[in-house]
Amino acid sequence: MSGLETVKVIVEAEKEAAKILADAQIRAGEIRTRLDSLIEEQREETIRAARKEATAMVVNAQSEAITEGQLFEKDARSKMREALGRASARKHLAVEKLVSILLELQV
Amino acid sequence: MSEASRFTEDILTAANDKARTIIDEAESETQQALGQAKIRSAREAEDILNSGRAEAEAVRRRHISQIRQRLKLQEQFEKSKIVTEVLDQSRKRLMDILTDEKSYLPYLAALVTSAVREIGLDAVVVHVNSRDLNRVNAIGLEREIAELLGKSVKIELSGEPIQASGGMVVSSKDGKTRIVNTLDQRFEALEPKLLIEAGKILFGQ
Repeated sequence: MSGLETVKVIVEAEKEAAKILADAQIRAGEIRTRLDSLIEEQREETIRAARKEATAMVVNAQSEAITEGQLFEKDARSKMREALGRASARKHLAVEKLVSILLELQV
Repeated sequence: MSEASRFTEDILTAANDKARTIIDEAESETQQALGQAKIRSAREAEDILNSGRAEAEAVRRRHISQIRQRLKLQEQFEKSKIVTEVLDQSRKRLMDILTDEKSYLPYLAALVTSAVREIGLDAVVVHVNSRDLNRVNAIGLEREIAELLGKSVKIELSGEPIQASGGMVVSSKDGKTRIVNTLDQRFEALEPKLLIEAGKILFGQ
């Protein structure tokens, strides 16, 4: 190989090397550019799942609250009926006491 | 292999190595950034879940609180009905006494005595309603009061009837001092005490 040919081969190799590096830079740029959309996709997916779970929690709570409320109301009504029944049965005692207070005089 | 070929190969190998490093660095940065973004998203998601938990708890509490409030109002209404009924019955019983002279006249004498003791005078005017004007006499009253007080007091029965269902008003002769002992006034004055007593008996343990 003559000296000129050797130089040509080396110049070609340098060109190819430069192209390899340029391609690598382009590829790295693409990877970095893709990063933003990857982050956004990942965030949206996580947030979507969290919102879905949070909504489900509230819906479940509403349903549980209705059931819990029914039990609470049933129990409270039963206690209230009991208390009012007891009070009704004591009405005559109360009337007697009130009349005695009304008639009571410091003479 | 010629010298030129080796040199060429070295150039390309170095370029490929450098290219690999450039890409590896980009990928590594990306992975790192993704990892950090994932942590941020997880925190954001946890905040959303915490809000969801808080909202769920609030929904539960609000619902129970509404029921509790409604029942409390209803209970208060029912209790109030019973207390009102007891007060009405007590008032009726008191008014029934008015028609029974055997019970009422001694009670009226006691009311007058109590008022005379309070006013602290030896001569008073007693004012009663028109029905009592026809069944009460001053002399009888004086005798009963003297027995109850242990001293004599001059009683004058006013000819002007008062507007009251029963009971009386005792005043000084000049009318400047008055002790009101009508049943209506008595009921009104004692109402707070009556409510407390009724509440204790009706709703006490």
